[in-house]
Amino acid sequence: MDFYLGLVQIIGVHTLLGLSAYCVLLTGQVSLAQAGFFAVGAYVAGMLTVLAQWPLIPALAVAAVVSGAVACAVGFPALRVKGLMLVVATVAFGEAVRLFFFNFTYQIQAGVLHLGPHGAEGFRQIRYFPEHGWSTLDVVLFIWVVVALVMAGLWWLDHSRVGAVLRAVGEDELAAQSVGINITAVKVSAMTVGGFIAGIGGGIFAHYTTHIEHAQFGVVLATFAIAYPILGGLSNVFGTLLAAVFIQGFLIEGLRFMGDWRNLLFGGLIVLAMNVRPRGLLDAGTTRALKRLFAAGKERSGA
Amino acid sequence: MRKRSIAFATLVAGTAMVVCGMAGAQERTVKITGFGAKSGVVRVFGINSEAAMKAAAEEINSKGGVTLGDGTKAKFTVDFLDDRCNAEEGISVVRRIASTDAFVAVGPTCSNVAESLFGILQKKVGDASDSGLQFPIIADVAAKGGLAKISEWAFRNVPSEFEMYKSLIAWIKKEHPNLKTMYGGVEKDFAHSNATYGVMKSQAEGSGLQVLGPSEWLLNDTTFSTQVRDMKRANADIVAISAHPFTTCGVLKEMARQGVKPKLLIGLTSSSSIETLQGCAKQAEGIIIPTSFAPVTPEAKLAAEQVAKFGGSADLHSAAAYEIMFILKDVIESQKIMAKPDTVQADRNKMRAGLAALKETKGLLGKVGRTADREAIKPYLYVHAKDGSWQVLYKPTL
Repeated sequence: MDFYLGLVQIIGVHTLLGLSAYCVLLTGQVSLAQAGFFAVGAYVAGMLTVLAQWPLIPALAVAAVVSGAVACAVGFPALRVKGLMLVVATVAFGEAVRLFFFNFTYQIQAGVLHLGPHGAEGFRQIRYFPEHGWSTLDVVLFIWVVVALVMAGLWWLDHSRVGAVLRAVGEDELAAQSVGINITAVKVSAMTVGGFIAGIGGGIFAHYTTHIEHAQFGVVLATFAIAYPILGGLSNVFGTLLAAVFIQGFLIEGLRFMGDWRNLLFGGLIVLAMNVRPRGLLDAGTTRALKRLFAAGKERSGA
Repeated sequence: MRKRSIAFATLVAGTAMVVCGMAGAQERTVKITGFGAKSGVVRVFGINSEAAMKAAAEEINSKGGVTLGDGTKAKFTVDFLDDRCNAEEGISVVRRIASTDAFVAVGPTCSNVAESLFGILQKKVGDASDSGLQFPIIADVAAKGGLAKISEWAFRNVPSEFEMYKSLIAWIKKEHPNLKTMYGGVEKDFAHSNATYGVMKSQAEGSGLQVLGPSEWLLNDTTFSTQVRDMKRANADIVAISAHPFTTCGVLKEMARQGVKPKLLIGLTSSSSIETLQGCAKQAEGIIIPTSFAPVTPEAKLAAEQVAKFGGSADLHSAAAYEIMFILKDVIESQKIMAKPDTVQADRNKMRAGLAALKETKGLLGKVGRTADREAIKPYLYVHAKDGSWQVLYKPTL
């Protein structure tokens, strides 16, 4: 049971990472900076709970604000470029963050131990969950409450005027601009919200793994971040969740019994999924069909 | 007469079936699960560990297997899971193993994975306020110093690199008093090589060698011209390379290309393997490495042959995995572990207590001491690459 609960934790954290990229993708921008924001959140939250002995929730809140602020600062210069140039710019940012933590050392003496980030060797002993007696189920519930809140927030955003503006920019920038939408403000806002969510995800990730180091926040993680919403579909937030379940639950853990074949199948099945569902696992058509199905079900039960 | 013969044959066959059935019922198996990197740049370590565990299991099984707490004999079987040298996957793999009847796991390959998964274990045994996982893990490869201190459920059978390099540097100072300067090369983004370079540097400085600086590269790097140019400029007497076989070979080839010929070369423990010889035997000629394994004893020779049969290669890491299987056998027998589904947590506690109580174990090179913080003090020797093979250069008296 503990294994499945652990898996649900991983899926939750990766859903947050994917949702951070979802916000940015809605505006039509492909950002590979999410791993960098995730790293900022992980280190800030870890330092606050381990070095400053803060409780977890305020630490996550500060981590989210700091990541959001970094994303906002990055957003202004980076979002002035488009397409492939933006991809390159955000990869460069992600690598800069990674290399910063690669060289970042800030340790304090706690008894015989040195605690805190230690450059390339990473940051160990981020043991808030076990030290405070949280069971695996407690951690699962906590993570999924956060995921649910973030998804609800994004769902509301998506169905509000703000969501329409974000999608308008994503569909046709020129047309959006011609009706008076401030493109830079919209893109930077999306980037900031994405950074905020990545900061929360990173903070939880640090406490889940208990040890973080620069190598965990590289291009591979950044690719996963945008793969979730792209593979899941951008029609609504549940696509990202579905993709996180598909990749973490099925491709990585579900196929582990296949040994060496797993790595081959991993790439092959993603390519297959994207070919079979080019607009995402949960595209607009599927969402409409599901809605009709639920509506029909309700009518039948009403009758 | 014919009826009697049929009756006799039936009796014999029936008896044989009953006896075989009883034997079959008593034939039990104990599955030991290992885990480590079987993908990516360091996949060879996982492959070797799996082969070593299987070879040791076969050796133990051929001698009757392991005696369980209820007196029955059991055979070892080995399963090995790939964590891709990824901390999240490592945690997931250990949770998967811990959700079965397993009472111990062997691994991981990478120190960064060990850092994370030792972190999710309960820190102090019996601490009710700590909800960490209560499951013993014994590491065979993860070599970064001091990892077992993270949790009382964590154990290692890896050599102390601090002691090995301290001894090696002292020996070099004694044997080569004319060597005054050292230049380092470090695979900076890998926890093990980075930490070990710190050991090499501090020992060199402590023994009076002047350290002229390090060149740094990454585990996945494939070009080293800038780093070797800096090395050439430093013109040090000794070059110490703290890197795994893949980049060690890249650097050695670049050194040969640029004509960098230090008077003495030192390598990382993990590079005293067949991969280095396969990748750059010519360029590695003369490199000195301290190691806790070489086929110099009858047991070590047998282990090397057995591991090769299972498609692996015996080196200091896989030899540790081989030894671990024998350690587990001894602890299962001394702690009277039952290996039954209804005794899982009791068996885990017994395994942890048994491993913690060990003061000494049998190693392939001799007796292995155990420390209070659950680490091993392994015998070691210095090997050097000569004529395409690793040959023993010196065996320190411990």
